[in-house]
Amino acid sequence: MRWAWIALALALLAYPLVFTSPFYQDAGALVLLAAISASAWNVVGGYAGQISVGHAMFYGAGAYLPLLLHQHWHLPPILGVPLAIAVSLALALVVGFPTFRLQGHYFSMATLAVAELIRIVVSNWELLGAAIGLQGPAVSKNWWDLTFRSAVPYYYIFLAVLALLLYVTWHMQESRLGYYLRAIRSGERAARSLGVPVRRYKLFALMLSATFTSLAGSLYAFKTGFVDPESGLGILVSVQMIIIAALGGTGTLLGPLLGAVILVPLQTTTNTLFGGGGAGLTFIVYGGIIVLIARFEPGGLLELWHRLTAPRTRRAPAPRHAA
Amino acid sequence: MLLSAEKVTKRFAGFTAVAEADLMVEEGEIVGLIGPNGAGKSTFFNCVAGDLTPTSGRIRFAGVDVTHAPAEAHARLGIGRTFQVPATFEEMTILDNVMVGAYLRHHGWRAARAKALQVLEMTGLKDQAELRAKSLGTPGRKRLEIARVLASEPRLMLLDEALAGLTPSEIQRAIALVRDIHKLGITIVIVEHIMEVILTLAQRVLVFNQGRVIASGKPQEVIDDPAVIEAYLGRGHGRAARQP
Repeated sequence: MRWAWIALALALLAYPLVFTSPFYQDAGALVLLAAISASAWNVVGGYAGQISVGHAMFYGAGAYLPLLLHQHWHLPPILGVPLAIAVSLALALVVGFPTFRLQGHYFSMATLAVAELIRIVVSNWELLGAAIGLQGPAVSKNWWDLTFRSAVPYYYIFLAVLALLLYVTWHMQESRLGYYLRAIRSGERAARSLGVPVRRYKLFALMLSATFTSLAGSLYAFKTGFVDPESGLGILVSVQMIIIAALGGTGTLLGPLLGAVILVPLQTTTNTLFGGGGAGLTFIVYGGIIVLIARFEPGGLLELWHRLTAPRTRRAPAPRHAA
Repeated sequence: MLLSAEKVTKRFAGFTAVAEADLMVEEGEIVGLIGPNGAGKSTFFNCVAGDLTPTSGRIRFAGVDVTHAPAEAHARLGIGRTFQVPATFEEMTILDNVMVGAYLRHHGWRAARAKALQVLEMTGLKDQAELRAKSLGTPGRKRLEIARVLASEPRLMLLDEALAGLTPSEIQRAIALVRDIHKLGITIVIVEHIMEVILTLAQRVLVFNQGRVIASGKPQEVIDDPAVIEAYLGRGHGRAARQP
């Protein structure tokens, strides 16, 4: 197990050195970025089982605020990162506080509604560039502009953030918080009967998730130097996180990374093959994946892997003394 | 007095499920709640567990008023409960299920795990610790629910038909487990359909009918009570019992 971790870390570290073509380096950075946002979504959507369909609001806050500071006040974009996290936490409270009292789909519907509302407002707000969007620094004046020509620096920054996020998630998984979140996912009534303060834990998970999703949005803005309502706040941003996490395995540590490694190259390929006409294709691919996961393995690929490698644990042997 | 529920009433949109029910439980007792289907036992039980808030009345536990407290506060104060339909955490292992309970009083992973393993040993689930809860059948799930509650170290344990649906030999084992739990000093309130279970386990029985407590006392006295016979078997039999 330990060796598997070291091998994975080495492979991720070595990737840009082995694949030196800018195309592959760029693709690698995109995979890591998608893995960060899907892993962040996974904290509340996977572990706690509270399906957010509006994580784009946090991602968008992360992407817009650094570029806003730069474009309007000529401040270093990096100052927008903590600001964006603060805004995301406030949004998380606004959405989570009223809806987490209820069970079921209210939270999902609220996230969807708020995210779409924000997208529409931003699309019409001149300060935020309306439909055109915002731009980052064209050329780097200082290192803290985080503007690089090559994808390699981004790759390693993304890798560091992903490592931090996975470490936090792993730590959470092995602590009371992780146990409580999984209990909430399995059954709120039972969790409550064992003393789990369900609402507080759900809120905490959402805030942790929002923080890292916002960070992912900021990293996206640094890398592309540009954001518009579709790329920062569009419904596809939220859906992509869900699909990637679900494909690999929700509520698992490495599921979102696995999902990103498979899905992002697939998207890049369809985009290159079909060009602009491929945009609609993304929806079709997403829809197809949802159908396949829901029909054959709701636990995602990691669950499938566990099932195939350990068929013994599928059913318990009949207890010797049943009762 | 460990638990005192006074004049507890619960109405659902005009329908009175429980009407002015009283229940006093001393520390160390085993009290049974019986009654025909729809008599209000489960509703009353859920009021005591904090899952439902009574429309009126007052519930005190260990001197604290818990009438309006949420279910998680009940658990923290020391009221544990099982569910009529087992609500185990299906995707989690049996050990992890019990650890959720253990985390209530033990904050560290190591301490929670030690507590959970100890409880699994006592409840006879240790061999299956690493299996997922969904791999268990109904008897196993009921046992797991009891284990989960035990790990949370309750003072009072509310068992909601923990023995329904078990075979006679499973019932014997479950009764033995309830006795073991009682020996730990845990007070028990048990809702049960099966008379045999109540007669062997409970020291005191309350009989519910149409939302009211119609009789209470020692099990043997209660089942001879004409009102109880009438509630279970209908009016004609009640009269027959009164005029032998």
